[in-house]
Amino acid sequence: MKSKLSILFLFMALTLSGQNTAIGSSEQLTYTASYRMSGLLTDLAQVTMETSEVATKSGALLRLKCKARTYKKWDNFFKINDLYESYVSPKTLRPYLYKKEINEGTYFKFMQYKFDYRGKIVQSLTRKRGRDGSYYDVRKRIPFESNTLDLVSTIYKIRNLDIHKANVGDSDSFKIMFDNEVTIVNIKLLGKETISTKIGNKECYKLAITIRNKDVLKGNNDNLLWLTADANKIPVYARFKVAIGSGELRIQSATGLKN
Amino acid sequence: MKLALSIIALILALLGITLSILPFGNLAFAPIIGAFVFGLLAFRASRGDNQKTGLIKFIFLITIIALGITIYRAIFDENIIEEDIESIQNEEESLEDAKKELEDIDIDE
Repeated sequence: MKSKLSILFLFMALTLSGQNTAIGSSEQLTYTASYRMSGLLTDLAQVTMETSEVATKSGALLRLKCKARTYKKWDNFFKINDLYESYVSPKTLRPYLYKKEINEGTYFKFMQYKFDYRGKIVQSLTRKRGRDGSYYDVRKRIPFESNTLDLVSTIYKIRNLDIHKANVGDSDSFKIMFDNEVTIVNIKLLGKETISTKIGNKECYKLAITIRNKDVLKGNNDNLLWLTADANKIPVYARFKVAIGSGELRIQSATGLKN
Repeated sequence: MKLALSIIALILALLGITLSILPFGNLAFAPIIGAFVFGLLAFRASRGDNQKTGLIKFIFLITIIALGITIYRAIFDENIIEEDIESIQNEEESLEDAKKELEDIDIDE
């Protein structure tokens, strides 16, 4: 009887921890992305993260939209216009559709993952532009486990972790569908810090992010994320190191928060 | 010696003015400071010999202009995003396409 109750409580705890308590349906976060050039940080682009409700025949979903746009002064040199979208369950943030459209200079790439939980298959579509300007599609069917996320929903899922229950040094991992492969992302709690941001001084959880067996992110503990240590867990600051250099993401504004 | 210092200062000054015009933000300060330092060294080297200082004065002029432009841009240049109609339409189309894709899904929770 006691063991059955323990299993019941464990199941309830797992179910509750999977619920969305941090993300509202009309949230808008705006960031400035800076890139380090010759040791000096230069503002390069604006990154926005927005949520909105989308009605489908099967029910309401949450649209998580992330945009990256270079500032106007850069557009004549190198224009970035990227759009990332994830359509997720508003309750559990489970992704149903993920779309990525990369427009960087003359480079174009479109990717779409449709998560079929019954068949445990991701229907992947990759669209690229050939040298002659024509587009070609590559379709794949990739098996996946039901706890697999996409890149955008992972960012929001991290915000729903019970970080206040974690100890310094604790880590968690997520399975992410990335470039048609399931990739493991590790999140490690490094501690708490109070940092000054455009939206005020915020006490934050400092997290280190690493991607297993991929060289997208460089260095050890060089990719850091600061989430506010409150119910919204807003990402207010991030430092990243990639193959082509390093940079920062600083929050400019946060509206429509859930809590 | 003076010629070498002057050439380095001139190169840095030209780099400074180029970076100050281009949208590289505060990056222009590095060559501008370098141009000032090498310009001063070249000026000191030429002072004792009673040599002409026209080139060094020209270097200082370029450096001051570059410094002025960089400071002006650092204070008054705003980070603006150009919200073009094409991007807005693209986002709307993306949403409509997504709705079509999501028509046959089963949301089971």
